[in-house]
Amino acid sequence: MLAYAIKRIFVLIPTLLAASLLVFIFIHLIPGDPAAVLLGDTATPEDVAQLTREMGLDKPLYTQFVLWLGNFLQGDLGTSIFFQAPVLSVIADGAETSILLAVMTMFWIVIFGVPIGVVSATKHGSWIDQVSSGGAMFAASIPTFWLGLYLILIFSVTLGWLPSSGFPSISDEGGLTNLRYLLLPSLTLAAPNAALIIRLVRASMLDVQREDHVRTARAKGLHPLRVAYAHVFRNALIAVAAAFGFTFAALVSEAVVTETVFSLPGVGRLVVQSILRRDYPVIQGVILVIVILYMVTNLLVDLAYGWLDPRVSLK
Amino acid sequence: MNALALFNPYSGRRLAFLGLVWLTFILICALAAPLLAPFDPLAIAPVDRLSEPGESYWFGTDNFGRDTLSRCIYGARMALIIGLGTVVVSLTAGSLIGMLSAYFTRLGHVLMRMIDVLMAFPALLLALVLMTLLERSVANTIIVIGIVYTTTTARILFGMTLKLKNEVFVEAAVCSGAGHCSVLFRHILPNLISPLLVQASFIFAFAQLQAAALDFLGLGLPPEIPSWGNMLSESRIYVTRAPWLLIFPGILIIFSVFSMNLVGDALRDSIDPRFKDDIAGV
Amino acid sequence: MKISLWWKSAMAGCAALVLANSAWAGGTLRYATVGEPPSLDQHVVTSDLATTIAHHMFEGLYTFNSANAPVGLLAADEKLEDDGKTIVISLRKGVKFHNGQEMVAGDVLASLNRWGEHGSRGGLLYSNVTGIEASGDHEITIKLKAPFGPWKNLLAFINGGPAIYPASVAAAAGKEPIAPENYIGTGPYKFSEWKANRHVELVRHDGYASIEAAPDGYAGARTAHFDKIRFIPVPDVGTRVSGLKAGDYDYAESIPGDLFADLDADPNVKTILNGGPIFGLIFMNSKEGPLKENYALRRAIQAALDKVPALQVSIGPEKLWRANGSFLPEGNVWYSDAGADNFSRGDTAGAKEMAVKAGYKGEPIKFMVSTNYAFHYDQAVVFTKQLAQAGFNIDLQVYDWATLIKKRAQPDQWDLFFTHHGFVPDPILISVMNDNYPGWWATAEKAGLKAKFTGTADEAERQKIWSQIQSAIYEQVPTMKTGDVYTYNIASPKLTGLASSTLIWPHFWNVDN
Repeated sequence: MLAYAIKRIFVLIPTLLAASLLVFIFIHLIPGDPAAVLLGDTATPEDVAQLTREMGLDKPLYTQFVLWLGNFLQGDLGTSIFFQAPVLSVIADGAETSILLAVMTMFWIVIFGVPIGVVSATKHGSWIDQVSSGGAMFAASIPTFWLGLYLILIFSVTLGWLPSSGFPSISDEGGLTNLRYLLLPSLTLAAPNAALIIRLVRASMLDVQREDHVRTARAKGLHPLRVAYAHVFRNALIAVAAAFGFTFAALVSEAVVTETVFSLPGVGRLVVQSILRRDYPVIQGVILVIVILYMVTNLLVDLAYGWLDPRVSLK
Repeated sequence: MNALALFNPYSGRRLAFLGLVWLTFILICALAAPLLAPFDPLAIAPVDRLSEPGESYWFGTDNFGRDTLSRCIYGARMALIIGLGTVVVSLTAGSLIGMLSAYFTRLGHVLMRMIDVLMAFPALLLALVLMTLLERSVANTIIVIGIVYTTTTARILFGMTLKLKNEVFVEAAVCSGAGHCSVLFRHILPNLISPLLVQASFIFAFAQLQAAALDFLGLGLPPEIPSWGNMLSESRIYVTRAPWLLIFPGILIIFSVFSMNLVGDALRDSIDPRFKDDIAGV
Repeated sequence: MKISLWWKSAMAGCAALVLANSAWAGGTLRYATVGEPPSLDQHVVTSDLATTIAHHMFEGLYTFNSANAPVGLLAADEKLEDDGKTIVISLRKGVKFHNGQEMVAGDVLASLNRWGEHGSRGGLLYSNVTGIEASGDHEITIKLKAPFGPWKNLLAFINGGPAIYPASVAAAAGKEPIAPENYIGTGPYKFSEWKANRHVELVRHDGYASIEAAPDGYAGARTAHFDKIRFIPVPDVGTRVSGLKAGDYDYAESIPGDLFADLDADPNVKTILNGGPIFGLIFMNSKEGPLKENYALRRAIQAALDKVPALQVSIGPEKLWRANGSFLPEGNVWYSDAGADNFSRGDTAGAKEMAVKAGYKGEPIKFMVSTNYAFHYDQAVVFTKQLAQAGFNIDLQVYDWATLIKKRAQPDQWDLFFTHHGFVPDPILISVMNDNYPGWWATAEKAGLKAKFTGTADEAERQKIWSQIQSAIYEQVPTMKTGDVYTYNIASPKLTGLASSTLIWPHFWNVDN
């Protein structure tokens, strides 16, 4: 297990290097000039050229990459062109929102997905099964921004139950009750992603039911529901672990849209705004941090998988 | 395989059958758009702007006074183009990369590492960066979404080809002196057609949602093109003022994606059980 | 069933969150902005959003009253000597910066010098200044080469203008925008924090020295009633509207025209028109391409356009737009109808004929527009159709704003591009008057008129020359105005003291909850 983990970490390093090179190249190929965006409408070409020089954006690309990589290895992601602040602190400002949003979304996915998956499996083939898997698939077919717009219209504008947008920090006035700002966004994000976990829980439950010890338990006259529950938690956990790996990337992607609709000060909206402003260091930094997170999450998921399910051999 | 039997309305899959009916309807709209659309989808009529659905404009009009129904019908065409385009790009590139990687182990080592790198980028972020880099156009949207699904397709095909590679019939073909090309494309590929079809239906469905998300963020199809995503994106401010502008295209996207998912789900039941778990779908 | 337990706990959780008290601070004004400004340094930044925030904390020597006339703010009085070539400005006494220091002539001198050297609009005045000195603790003397008409307007226009910073800040600052920790001004609110992506927060400046006169536009007494003002970026316009209706914001800016009727009728929303209209401009390339020096062809393009349908489509209600050919709006001292009969002819057949006479043979004309501003794109779509009908081969190129401003700096990339202009108090500030602005209009006729325009301080004379410049614009067509757009903002009806329209930017001194 330890040897496997170490080996995986060694594979991670070249992958990360390649990923960072790719991010760097992509971003510097984007047309548009951050200096021109920054100086605004009345700037002369000379002003723009001078600022470009001052920001080091006139150096050859490979020099810029080596400089950036060197700084990155020292934990310095550079300075945001737009905010004139360290990229790391700009990302950290958005991280609270993004992390809380992801946690709340996973919470909804688990709290709705696991029970529905279990019930679907135990009532395999019944109308409950059909309705729940059909419903989950339907939810996965709704564009997130469309769903978000209507949730705001119904729950914030018409009923006035929940705030429509924004998110004051939980360290701000209001404390933990500020989490209510994330209720609608997290439900919007959870809806399309619950389908996957329902399917995985249902499938793994059905697999278990075919296994020998379960059949034995049943033959002994135990009620099928009790048999199911005896195995629910481990299997549910396995499914959740697997789904977490899959869902992570989807959550990050769809968070870009959700954070835009609900105007949340998270990392996703930061990327979109930074692309519009051509704030290269921030785009690079955010994408790289997300890529690292993705890789680490997947490593952890694989390890958890091996630990939870002895049938999986790690090599 | 007897795929059509899966859509028998009298079997347990009534929903999948309805999905197939809906998709046929959309296909007809797409193909016969110029005949079906009552107006030119691009014609501007400032006098009739933001008309409610009524006798002359069944689905109402937008802020340019353009007919929403006609734009919805032409939007079906765009949905078809985006869906098919993405399927062609991602299945061609993905299956080539996946199959070659599984067959030639050394090459596979390099190629699959590259796929790993690309997969580490969240789909929409990758698409966003690529779209900013390229110009907004139909072809570029297809290529960008295609790249995103090339990675998953390559992974899946890699796994499935590995499983088939050690089968007796493949080894027999190699022994009888068949060339690499012949083994890959005449012996292995035919066995992968039906799982590829299932994968295609899911890609088709998700491509619609990705394209709509890109349109929403202002980085998808050029805004003058009547696509469902563009229609939603342009009219989001009218959610209370002119709700028909969001409801009609919204329903079209949801039903089409849902139908495609249902069809994919039904098809999945027909494929070789060894490959079932490889294709995640929704 | 177990599932009901899941439900119960989930619903209980929701209920607890919903019932939590919803207003989070009585003394805070929450303002939903279109985005984040690049910097709040008024000397170098010309973004309207930056000024909306910054004019609460930075003040200039002069400001505008409700008639758009410049009146003293930090300046107490002034006298002109030497036929208007020497300006002696006396400063108000007892004005304190946010750091507690008193404002003296040294601060004003350092601020004006930094603005003159590096500021966006400073060169306009400083190219005419021969010397400037602190002639007393509370007195500044400016010496000019020649009498210069717009001096007071330039000193009063805070956007890209001479805000007064402490000498220590102004002297240390170069071309770069000053950093947020150095945002020190004299205004009724002071800088508190800038959280990237989240908000810019100002707090009340308790030591504010207010003028004792009735408020009039931006002039007169200023009282800060709120403890805090938070400017929260809400780039999605739909979200700004729903957020204000749901009570999450007290004020939201830049709302689409089509929602005006509904919002105006809604008792839970107050609509506030912006006083100075903004106007779309289509610039023509004077440096390269088919439009270079071909004024007949430019006039053909101008003749083909009918601005009314474009305004209808892009803005909506007639109250919010005006098909007005004068560069400054009706009622303004600079209003003029010179050349304006060519503003919106919509003469398809005539344009076709004019184009043929101008030697146009269907060469493609590249028209750049951005989707970041919906009304740019909507109007461009209408104009493209009109031009196509008149036989022009228009290649409409749609970019995001960052790409467009990069491309427009390259003369070989475009023939026409769409932008808009904010309201300015003096025509000299209009972008087309700047020879270096993309489009690069710098003909001999313009140079002659411009020299006359800035060379006199006589208002009537200046207004006459401006009319001549405006007719030159309709003759040489360096740019085409597309009509006045009155943008509007929305506010919670709880706010008191808000005028029914803003002068240029919204302000929240003298406003209360």
